[in-house]
Amino acid sequence: MNPIDEITLQAYVDGELDVASAASIDAALAQDDLLARRVHKARELRAQLNAAFDPVLVEPVPAHLAALLHAESPPAAARVVPLAKAAASRGFGADRRRGRRRWFFPAVAVAASIAVLSMAIWWQGRGDLLRVQEGQQFASGALSQALDQTLASEPDRRARISIGLTFRSADGDICRTFVTHAKPAMAGLACHQPAGWSVPALSTAVDPQSGDLRQSASALPPRVQAAVDARLRGDAFTAKQERVARDAGWQ
Amino acid sequence: MDPSQTVREGLIPLLPRLRRLARALAGQVADADDLVQIVLERALTRAVQWRPDAALDKWVFAIARNAWRDELRSRGRSHNLFAPEEAGASATDGASAPVQKLELTAALAALPPDHREVVAVVLIEGLSYSEAAELLEVPVGTVTSRLARARAALQAYLGNAA
Repeated sequence: MNPIDEITLQAYVDGELDVASAASIDAALAQDDLLARRVHKARELRAQLNAAFDPVLVEPVPAHLAALLHAESPPAAARVVPLAKAAASRGFGADRRRGRRRWFFPAVAVAASIAVLSMAIWWQGRGDLLRVQEGQQFASGALSQALDQTLASEPDRRARISIGLTFRSADGDICRTFVTHAKPAMAGLACHQPAGWSVPALSTAVDPQSGDLRQSASALPPRVQAAVDARLRGDAFTAKQERVARDAGWQ
Repeated sequence: MDPSQTVREGLIPLLPRLRRLARALAGQVADADDLVQIVLERALTRAVQWRPDAALDKWVFAIARNAWRDELRSRGRSHNLFAPEEAGASATDGASAPVQKLELTAALAALPPDHREVVAVVLIEGLSYSEAAELLEVPVGTVTSRLARARAALQAYLGNAA
């Protein structure tokens, strides 16, 4: 068998290979331990990067940034031009304290307080949906609860979190896709482990403004879909299998 | 609706992703949010340049990447923006951040800018190779070769390269 070069291997891991080439690597993996280790390492690195940076998605957005987008009155908008010049010449990281003081302009201050209020309301509804443990992100709070209890076969329109597919991954863990309906909507994949529901993929859900065909063709964001594809062997659970799995504690 | 209003409203749901991208590029929380502020201001002043048939996220990510490159250039090419230890120490929030995560963010901060940005847009933001090539204004082959070298460097840094 020809050795598989790094460029091809990473394209496989990143979901960029055509179906036929990916299938030939799938087949080679079963017989080639070294190749399997290389694939595992590349996936592991990607998972570690996601675990390190995805929590930023659920951090509260600082009020001064949100305020830039919530400013509505023309005087506040007109000030954006000098601010941009000031910030560009100042550079990020340079004399932050002086930069922040500009937010005491009255119109901007009003906008900022509205933004703080709306962000606070938004966050209250959200709670902490993720926790990080040993470099891995896990579901917590309402997300963990929804993953434990919700059945896709019994959808609740009022629920803030919906469950999509449930399936047993190639690793043997039960995995479930989910969507949170708070804005911005987030979609992800969670897999049941002894320490809880680990979340190997999390992404903002499809942005309706995006003209990307690949995104609109599928209900899940591409990176979540890729995480599902990397784990799914066989079929997703039927409603009955889903219920049996829940009653067995997702073992 | 006027273009600046459309862009302003379209950017609100993109803020978390923009902050994640900025964190991956700039490292420290405060520097990353300063970068986000510059990006939002530029996006709003240039709102008329955004064509509604283009994806707003790619457009604003390109602004972010260019703003970050401008900043690097103004600080001089010869040295990294931050010492790796410094970048790692606060790249993620919370004093109890796991050691593994600090090492990884430090390793990312130590990569050359060409490599760091490809890791940020492909592995962290999740763009396809062709989307990344368009955003970074390089051929797809350059994206894949930089990505392979960046992966090797990160794995070596993490001691995973056995």
